[in-house]
Amino acid sequence: MPNPQKPEHSVITTCAYCGVGCGFKAETVGDRIVRMTPWKEGKANHGHSCIKGRFAFDYYNHPDRVRHPAIRQSIDEPWQEVSWDVAIAHAAAELQRIQRVHGRASVGGVSSSRCTNEEIWLMQKFVRAGLGNNNIDNCARICHSPTQFGLTSTLGAGAASQHFDSVLQADVILIVGANPTEGHPVFASLMKRRLRQGAQLIVVDPRRTESVESAHVKAAVHLPLRPGTNVALLDALAHVVVREQLYDEAFIRARCYWPEFEQWMALVGSDRYDPDVIGPEVGVEPDAIRAAARLYARGPNSAIYYGLGVTEHSQGSTGVMCLGNLALACGMLGREGVGVNPLRGQGNVQGGSCLGSWPHVFSGYRFVTDPDTRNTFEAEWGLRLDDEPGLRLPNMFDAAVAGTFKGMYIMGEDPVQSDPNQQHTIAAFRQMECVIVQDIFHTETTKYAHVLLPGSSSLEKEGTFTNAERRVSRVRKVIEPLAGLADWEVTVKMMNAMGYAVHYDHPSQILDEIARLSPAYRGMSYDLIDRVGSVQWPCDAHAPEGTEVLHVTTFPRGRANFMLTQFVPTAERTTDRFPLLLTTGRILSQYNVGTQTRRTANVQWHGEDVLEICTDDAELRGVKDGDWITLSSRVGAITLRARISPRVHAGLVYTTFHWAESKANAITTELSDWATNCPEYKVTAVEVVRAAVVPARSATAAQTVGAPS
Amino acid sequence: MWAEVRNLREGIDLGTPPRDGAPVTLTVDGVEVTVAARSSVMLAAAQARRPVPKLCATDMLEAFGSCRVCLVEIEGKRGFPASCTTPVEPGMVVRTESPHLHALRKGVLELYLSDFPVREIPDGWSEFHETLQRVGVTSHPYGAGRNHLHAPVDASNPYFLFDPAKCIVCSRCVRACEEVQGTFALTVDGRGFESKIAASQDQSFMDSECVSCGACVQACPSHALVEKSLFPEGYDRAESAEA
Repeated sequence: MPNPQKPEHSVITTCAYCGVGCGFKAETVGDRIVRMTPWKEGKANHGHSCIKGRFAFDYYNHPDRVRHPAIRQSIDEPWQEVSWDVAIAHAAAELQRIQRVHGRASVGGVSSSRCTNEEIWLMQKFVRAGLGNNNIDNCARICHSPTQFGLTSTLGAGAASQHFDSVLQADVILIVGANPTEGHPVFASLMKRRLRQGAQLIVVDPRRTESVESAHVKAAVHLPLRPGTNVALLDALAHVVVREQLYDEAFIRARCYWPEFEQWMALVGSDRYDPDVIGPEVGVEPDAIRAAARLYARGPNSAIYYGLGVTEHSQGSTGVMCLGNLALACGMLGREGVGVNPLRGQGNVQGGSCLGSWPHVFSGYRFVTDPDTRNTFEAEWGLRLDDEPGLRLPNMFDAAVAGTFKGMYIMGEDPVQSDPNQQHTIAAFRQMECVIVQDIFHTETTKYAHVLLPGSSSLEKEGTFTNAERRVSRVRKVIEPLAGLADWEVTVKMMNAMGYAVHYDHPSQILDEIARLSPAYRGMSYDLIDRVGSVQWPCDAHAPEGTEVLHVTTFPRGRANFMLTQFVPTAERTTDRFPLLLTTGRILSQYNVGTQTRRTANVQWHGEDVLEICTDDAELRGVKDGDWITLSSRVGAITLRARISPRVHAGLVYTTFHWAESKANAITTELSDWATNCPEYKVTAVEVVRAAVVPARSATAAQTVGAPS
Repeated sequence: MWAEVRNLREGIDLGTPPRDGAPVTLTVDGVEVTVAARSSVMLAAAQARRPVPKLCATDMLEAFGSCRVCLVEIEGKRGFPASCTTPVEPGMVVRTESPHLHALRKGVLELYLSDFPVREIPDGWSEFHETLQRVGVTSHPYGAGRNHLHAPVDASNPYFLFDPAKCIVCSRCVRACEEVQGTFALTVDGRGFESKIAASQDQSFMDSECVSCGACVQACPSHALVEKSLFPEGYDRAESAEA
């Protein structure tokens, strides 16, 4: 029929992909989702969308979906399909057995930024109340944990200071280590709207990304620094602000501590950080550094947006602090059009971060060692909680390799593919006695699992996501869960099976519990969100419908702090053997480890990960466009096809990490952020040679991921 | 602030972008309505619940004034101004319906219809179809003439297709690509009858700079750009094209 089928019903929900968190209308015919259209009233997207949220939703019904729980005694055995009750009883019995033999702390849990707030909450509750320890971490560990640390230490809140619309008031936009047109496309469209109105753009990125130059966008300054030198470059920007007295003294005196500023000024103002010194070190023209600093400081409204190019470094937290310092020094906080804003990779990184899915803090970043906070949780949950901080995800793997950590409950996360130093991660999993994975597909990690609990996609359950601008939006059930249970129901069953009795009639009651126990969410409820569309935290008696801009009159700690940000180069260096620097990132059509997007027609745009290399470096190695190459680092080697690209300069190569078989994380190293252990994905010394053997590799994704046997 | 993005409402098309500005009061078909300065007469009419029929206008895009369907009468102004491109003025008296206006709109819509697959009129549900129904146009008086009914469908993109036979060249897709998405992948190529929507250098959508954001599909009023997922049996135009 030439006229399209008319959808029968629609449900307003929130996109499950990136941290923009677009509102969508999911349209159905019968029990089939036929279309996703952008919601005009979505406050993050205003009726706009990108290829992923708009079109790449078919994964939900892919034949690969895990539809039945399964168990096995060892990872060498085939999976045995069992009922929910059997699988959950088995999982709980195994965790209890391990705890009896190896101690209370020998097991833990991991939640994911793919989960709803309610599921993330339940997961940390499962670990704290069900397992009796604090071995709970989430995948923000490997992306934005430095944001939490760096922004909390400077500004007092580990979250974006602005809402997205604020960019429409910005005169100068400083993008550091982010590529919004690929990673956060709907925000990029809003930003480009402002750029066409005349705002100036500064881009700090080793690559010449689309943000640097594309249709009707041209950065005023591009600082193509060498990977690993963020802190040096940002300190040099600060140096110019200090030496040329471009700082906002009135703001600093009113909102910060002047003696702290003087200390900071002494550090970044020293000759060490003179652009003439730093420029050659980081590979950027000194005058470009000066131009960028002047542009940013002059404003009048300058806004910082940054991504994992800042955080995923051995000085990731320091890099975030540099951005906080810079905004404070120039008075670029506390109003529309300014601010410091992390662009979150996944839909619910912010929720994962602020709802206590961490080994050392409860929701709102309150320490587990603090008796008062612990008391409130103990009163609500009705049991004593462990006062000892738990293991971080990488430490869980270290402990597993050492033989002291034996069991793990993983929800919606694929550490084998996404965590660095894959060989180490696999070795850790092989040492564990019970690995429980709750996911919608088989992943690289399920190869090492003993219990498989079918997950539900975000189209199959009720919940909320907190996006990059602290906006809590509703996830609404469009169709019934394919395997019969929504994720929150599974975790509740797990808790009960562990002997910790809990009951919720509806996920709204979980958000109510979050609100009772988390100051920033105090005023939140499904009723409020349904009434006003979405709500940005903090939401409480002072801000009954939420808060768009943070730090307007005061910072959470009263005044903000300047942090000292000395540049310490990463231990990862180029050598004669590994003379190139590899940095990694994402591409528009694919999403993270690709579990979803590789199962959609998006593979037509990006069917494999390729290595971007510049003409000179390629010619030097006899590599032509399309050649198979071997990319090796000191920890491993992988094989990819090369693409000669003008986006990278000499000495720099780049790849994405969407495809399991390209194993980008088999070559990333064990180095991580000094403060938070966030892996240094963005800097690896490598060498490229033409591949001796061409890999036999399927062109399509679906067959490459292990199917249940 | 930011009315252009923040005052959009699902299920309501104000026709032109909402504005921030001082209040301006006018009457539309006898209904007094107050809107922000710089708003269009079309928006005021929509706010007064007297929406004007339209094709090339939609509230996520700046007014363009090409379809000539949204004509109105304004006291003290000559002729029949397009309501989308006419800014409101205090005290304006606007009339959205009259026999003369009806005849003008009917004439314009019949022309559009003369180059549209007629067999697809009855059960269509696009904005173009709704406008035809509202104005009461179901056929046209013209004989067989030159048309685009056999222009090839571009089905290169896995998610949506472009059928030039249903394209009314309102350029909403072109403007959505520019104003909403900011990619500038689409253009109107040629002039007059030859005008057609082209991606990049007249390439297929898949080979062009298109990033598949869907803004053009969302903006298209005639289902010329449409999601493939709404055609579970596939898109077979042969039958209707011959009609």
